[in-house]
Amino acid sequence: MDIFNGLLLGFSTATTFSNFLYCFLGVLLGTTVGVLPGLGPVATISMLLPFTFGLPVDTALIMLAGIFYGSQYGGSTTAILMNLPGEASSVVTTLDGHAMAKQGKAGRALAAAAIGSFFAGTVGTLFIVVSAPLLASFALTFGPAEYFSLIVLGLITSMVLASGSMLTALGMALFGVMLGMIGTDVNSGAARFTFGTPNLLDGLNFVVVATGIFGLGDVLANLEDERSRPASVATVSSLFPTREDWKRIIAPVLRGTGIGVLLGVLPGAGVLLASFSAYALEKKVSRRPDEFGKGAIEGVAAPEAANNAAAQTCFIPMLTLGLPGTATMALMIGALVVQGVQPGPEILTQQPALFWGLVVSMWLGNLMLLFLNLPLVGLWAKLISVPYHYLFPMICVFVAIGVYSINNSVFDVYMMALFGVLGYFFRKVGAEPAPLILAMILGPMAEEYLRRALLISHGDASVFFTSPLSLGTLIVAALLLLSIISPRFRKVREEGLQEAD
Amino acid sequence: MKISRDSILGLFFAVTGCVVLGIAVQYPFGTAGRMGPGFFPVIVSGLLVATGIGVLVRSVSGSVEVLSAINWKALIMVPAAIVVFGLAIEPLGFLPAVLLLLVLCAVTSVKFHIELKSAVGALAFTGLCTVLFIELIGLPIPVLGTWLHE
Repeated sequence: MDIFNGLLLGFSTATTFSNFLYCFLGVLLGTTVGVLPGLGPVATISMLLPFTFGLPVDTALIMLAGIFYGSQYGGSTTAILMNLPGEASSVVTTLDGHAMAKQGKAGRALAAAAIGSFFAGTVGTLFIVVSAPLLASFALTFGPAEYFSLIVLGLITSMVLASGSMLTALGMALFGVMLGMIGTDVNSGAARFTFGTPNLLDGLNFVVVATGIFGLGDVLANLEDERSRPASVATVSSLFPTREDWKRIIAPVLRGTGIGVLLGVLPGAGVLLASFSAYALEKKVSRRPDEFGKGAIEGVAAPEAANNAAAQTCFIPMLTLGLPGTATMALMIGALVVQGVQPGPEILTQQPALFWGLVVSMWLGNLMLLFLNLPLVGLWAKLISVPYHYLFPMICVFVAIGVYSINNSVFDVYMMALFGVLGYFFRKVGAEPAPLILAMILGPMAEEYLRRALLISHGDASVFFTSPLSLGTLIVAALLLLSIISPRFRKVREEGLQEAD
Repeated sequence: MKISRDSILGLFFAVTGCVVLGIAVQYPFGTAGRMGPGFFPVIVSGLLVATGIGVLVRSVSGSVEVLSAINWKALIMVPAAIVVFGLAIEPLGFLPAVLLLLVLCAVTSVKFHIELKSAVGALAFTGLCTVLFIELIGLPIPVLGTWLHE
């Protein structure tokens, strides 16, 4: 199917009444959780995942995707108005965005963020349209060795980019792989680590773990500093960027988009890296670097463009290779698998309506978000001031109902409570849970591909180094690992991730 | 007593790794060409033990980040509320279970006090959830459980 027919099919899929409605619902929810500090897209998507099982697969995915990129828009509103990252990837936006708000330019900062995001979202979706079919046909030639190497690369990238030490991240990833091993071994039929309970024969449900660690774990962590939540919200004046603003943001938005589009595709990198890199680049190339941190509009436009571009293009490895690059994408894979769709290179030929419908809905969703965020900003500003002690009991209710409704299983609810405590523990000891979640999905895939690759080569491990693509991937992974030993990169990483905390 | 973050985490990794390794060695290991169900778990848990020891070594030698105070009240109350929800959902049904969970969570907050507005809000929210999840989404959960039926 060529791109033109694909887009036509996509438009007819995305504009059916129910898909359009769920896309709107998704971006609305996404903006809401993006705006609310202490509730992120990973927690929300895992919370809502069980409720989408009854929807058609394209509708479910369209809505879940909307939550994800919608939260990128919403996060910037909180960052600018309240100096709090509503969402992790808008951390850098707080630096200049809130400085602008203090100078009474909140409206212009919001406009720069929304316009930058919209432009980047458009380019990002276009990039998916052009590159996904190419990559998918290329991916059909991948064997188990290539897949195994790509998974290794994804895991290593996510470890390098996790805040905190590399060793801690490695431990978290290994622990995640272990959680993924629970259940019946697909190859031998042996029940592994089930502790004799039939509840674990099908494995530990991924949604249960994600909801526990992110949803409940966040609640427990947020309750700790309940008294010290700031409550001042900057007021919004004019929403129209001046002519000078336009001039100043064009180049940063273009550069940010470029960075975001490329980094989004890298497995394991995610949107956080994109916004940091874009901010760092702007600071470097700017003629007035001293203005950064004091309200430079470039420092709002570029990272916001970058994180939204990456939020679109990180769908590429998920859709074409079936490999999730981020925890959110891992959840999307979970949603697809439950619906009986195996993500991978065949998705374009076997589920064309799903693929093209999703891509077109992403563009439509970006358009809706532009209107949702700018004229309605007053409404969102009110939402920020909802006190947490009203919010968190509701979050608890939603996670509990969500997890119970997966299988009507009380066991899942208890497991979720356990993983909530574990999530809090990980936060307390400074271990970021993102590599764990990613590894839990990637682990069983890694085992299966390793087994197949070694079966074909009769146990000869050199197969990973004789295939040029596999070798290249492993070299990139090794370079990433080596780079962390280099003191210079180490310093940059620590600085970059420090701001994320 | 001051406990460093690394020592706790390292211990967690090492102990989990040892337990898993202990179970994994009982599964057939197989050969590289024909991996048994124990092959991958043994490697991964071995690596986890090593990582745990690495983190422990770091906690002894490196800079010490002390574990900050734990909010025991929230840590016990909120998961307990979830467990209560699990215990209540089948015998009592959806509506009472949600209300119980909501109230038990709210009590955890330092800002909690009994007032009419919040009580009405909790009831309204529970009703709204029932309409949304049972009527609209159609979850197959009885609104009132077996104990509350005649």
